[in-house]
Amino acid sequence: MTIRKISRFVMVAALLVFVGFSPALADTYPSKPITLIIPLGAGGSHDLNARVFTSVIPQYLGQAMVVKLMPGAGGQTGTSAAIKAKPDGYTLLFTHNYIDQLQPLLEKLPYDTLKDLKSVCRINYGAASVVVRTEKPWKTLDEMLAYGKQSPGKLVFTTSGNWGATMTPGARVLLKAGVQATYVPYKGGGPAMQALLAGDGDFMMSFPSQAGPLIEAGKIRALASAGDKEVFPNVPTLKSLGYETGTMDRIVMAPKGVPEDRMKILRDAFAKLNSDKTYQRLMARIGENMEYMDGPEYDKIRPMQMDEYRKLVKEISGK
Amino acid sequence: MWDNFLQGILLSLRWDTFGMMGLGLMLGMFVGALPGFTTIMAMAVLLPISFFLDPMVGIPFLIGVYKGGIYGGSIPAILVSMPGTGAAVATTFDGPALTKKGQSRKAMEMALFASVSGDLSSDILTILFIGPIAILAMKIGPPELAAIILLSLIIISATTTGVFAKGLIMCFIGLFIAMIGQDPLGGMSRFTFGFFAIKSGIPLLPMLIGLFAIPEILQAVEKKVTSFVRKEFNLQTGEKLTFKEYRRCFRTILRSTAIGTALGIIPGVGQVVAAFVGYAAAKNASKHPETFGKGELEGIAGAEAANNAVNGPTLVPLLTLGIPGDKVTAILLGAFIAQGLRPGPQLFAEQGSLVFAILIAMIFANILFVVLGYLTIPLFAKVVNIRKSALLPLTAVFAFAGSYVYRSDPFDLLILVFFGIFSYAAKKLSFDVTPMVMGYILGPVLEYSFGQTVNMAQGNTLHFIFVARPVTATILAITPFVTFLLWWRATRLRRKHIEAQTTAEQPAQG
Repeated sequence: MTIRKISRFVMVAALLVFVGFSPALADTYPSKPITLIIPLGAGGSHDLNARVFTSVIPQYLGQAMVVKLMPGAGGQTGTSAAIKAKPDGYTLLFTHNYIDQLQPLLEKLPYDTLKDLKSVCRINYGAASVVVRTEKPWKTLDEMLAYGKQSPGKLVFTTSGNWGATMTPGARVLLKAGVQATYVPYKGGGPAMQALLAGDGDFMMSFPSQAGPLIEAGKIRALASAGDKEVFPNVPTLKSLGYETGTMDRIVMAPKGVPEDRMKILRDAFAKLNSDKTYQRLMARIGENMEYMDGPEYDKIRPMQMDEYRKLVKEISGK
Repeated sequence: MWDNFLQGILLSLRWDTFGMMGLGLMLGMFVGALPGFTTIMAMAVLLPISFFLDPMVGIPFLIGVYKGGIYGGSIPAILVSMPGTGAAVATTFDGPALTKKGQSRKAMEMALFASVSGDLSSDILTILFIGPIAILAMKIGPPELAAIILLSLIIISATTTGVFAKGLIMCFIGLFIAMIGQDPLGGMSRFTFGFFAIKSGIPLLPMLIGLFAIPEILQAVEKKVTSFVRKEFNLQTGEKLTFKEYRRCFRTILRSTAIGTALGIIPGVGQVVAAFVGYAAAKNASKHPETFGKGELEGIAGAEAANNAVNGPTLVPLLTLGIPGDKVTAILLGAFIAQGLRPGPQLFAEQGSLVFAILIAMIFANILFVVLGYLTIPLFAKVVNIRKSALLPLTAVFAFAGSYVYRSDPFDLLILVFFGIFSYAAKKLSFDVTPMVMGYILGPVLEYSFGQTVNMAQGNTLHFIFVARPVTATILAITPFVTFLLWWRATRLRRKHIEAQTTAEQPAQG
């Protein structure tokens, strides 16, 4: 009994397994790692969320999910790559509603996101809050908007970038209230918050992971929050104040044409994540909710949100 | 405060902290050395590992990756003129020249010691002045940034080699290339002619690799060099850096550390700019600026000390306010949050010792870095020992592979080839591509911050700058003087140079 014998046995067994099961392997999806394109840069909230779910999902898919960051053109570089990919279920896109439903209204694109992409699911959403520095006299959203109405152009809104995840909901509030404000875009939420704290801006929309510690430290005050539920205690939702703003939906998409059975496997795997203990723990740690939504349901929302954005873009930029 | 500091030291003295930090440094160095892979990518990929580690292990691990990556980029820059990261571009001015002289080992050791010196002193400054730095960082808004960028562009353009006008032309070409794609403020497409592939602009890394690595390959082919590096200087016999040489560069290192630390305070400028400005300042202060670009150790020291000195202060807004100033700190923020720690004013008040422990771990990381870096240099230096007939094609393969993996877009290969040919032609016509790269990198920042300033001013820009922004006004006021000083120095030097040449030629004529 020697090592040589054992190794020969292992080799033969491996060969048998390989020959015997390879046709079966080809039929079972997924049989190789799945690529998840993120059309945004490293270090953002999409990157962080994806790092969390891709580290847990292999348990339910039986295959790894590999993140591929493809930033550029405000998100359209990665989106275009996902649309051009073979619809075999091995390339997915992890994007958000502003890239998916708003950007096509601003620019002519060589594809139609609504038709060329199908939702796998919505992972969760980010609900931004209207925040101001504590030194500011406004205790409620109405007080702030009243000031803005009184002195047109004086209220400075620092945003994380034009038509981004914090500008769009803010613009919807300002538009509804009839307030003419000065928009100052920054490169991301971090610089925008820094400008707000330095007194260069009057208000901004901030996500809980950023706003939370600053509210606790007494540097800023939240006046209202997006989403269906209260984000901070005793801070009303924008909805309850009569403002429909929407949230930043983090969505997983697939190019159209992926076979239904594969879509089902993917959707089931993502759905199972929600009852996974590690996933719940990590999501809670990064301060994200688990407001999951199934793909077909989300696909119904997409054209409706796009219509909303169309009105908004028309009002603001006259396009 | 003092208690927190002492506790911090105790917290950071753990073998697993050191072990993972060392692993992070090595990983960072290797990834940084591979063209096309950025430090940010390496950190993003390794981030999940930190989720499952203790905070005092996971975060120093990522910091190790960060520090290692910035240095690692200088390795291919020195050896084959291929900047592994944007921060290493300024190192390609003198590094490859030294390699050709057979002094690659010396160059890499200089890069290592300059990096560590810059990093260490900026970390110490950061710990000592965390409060004032936080306040200063807040004071710098878009108007100040725009003024600083304008001044940097002038300093860099004025210190390039060759004719001033040629430098200016290249700077404008760079500014123009930066305009291709979506405009940063409004998102409108400019100069794309409806062509989707360039909608997001010309990507940085493929352009850099094309500009710096391709002409080297072409020139080597042109000269049919059998030895791109002379044979007698191989690795084992490659000269080591002497203490005297380090001493000679010490002033440069100090200057670049100050520049890097100062630029690190300014959010959103980063290592790339620091390296260029550090290099330019070293050249300006030198008594023999003509040796720069031809294999000057001080050039490497100037660039490398500056780009690493940025590391310390960039962490300040993250630790004190919970606001990431750039992508690297954004990833670190993710790591903190996933550990259940929320950086911000509260973290500092409640867990001061932990914050100090992380800062102190950064200092230890530098010490570890010297040891690991020094040990691995001979390994990297082996690269130049490869036969040229193998190294040149290999360099070409890495240039193409590096350009591709950056965004996984085949279009980037065309960019690489285009800029490779462009740069080769520019070299033949003695145009320096450096001002072009600077124009390209700083142009969008200048445009963005200027646009923001105009927005903030609500229609009355000049009044706003001079009344509400004293710092901006001051910087703008000194700009003409700095420009004049640089111009005067440059012409005086050129005249001296010409005089020296004519006196040298006269005896031959007579």
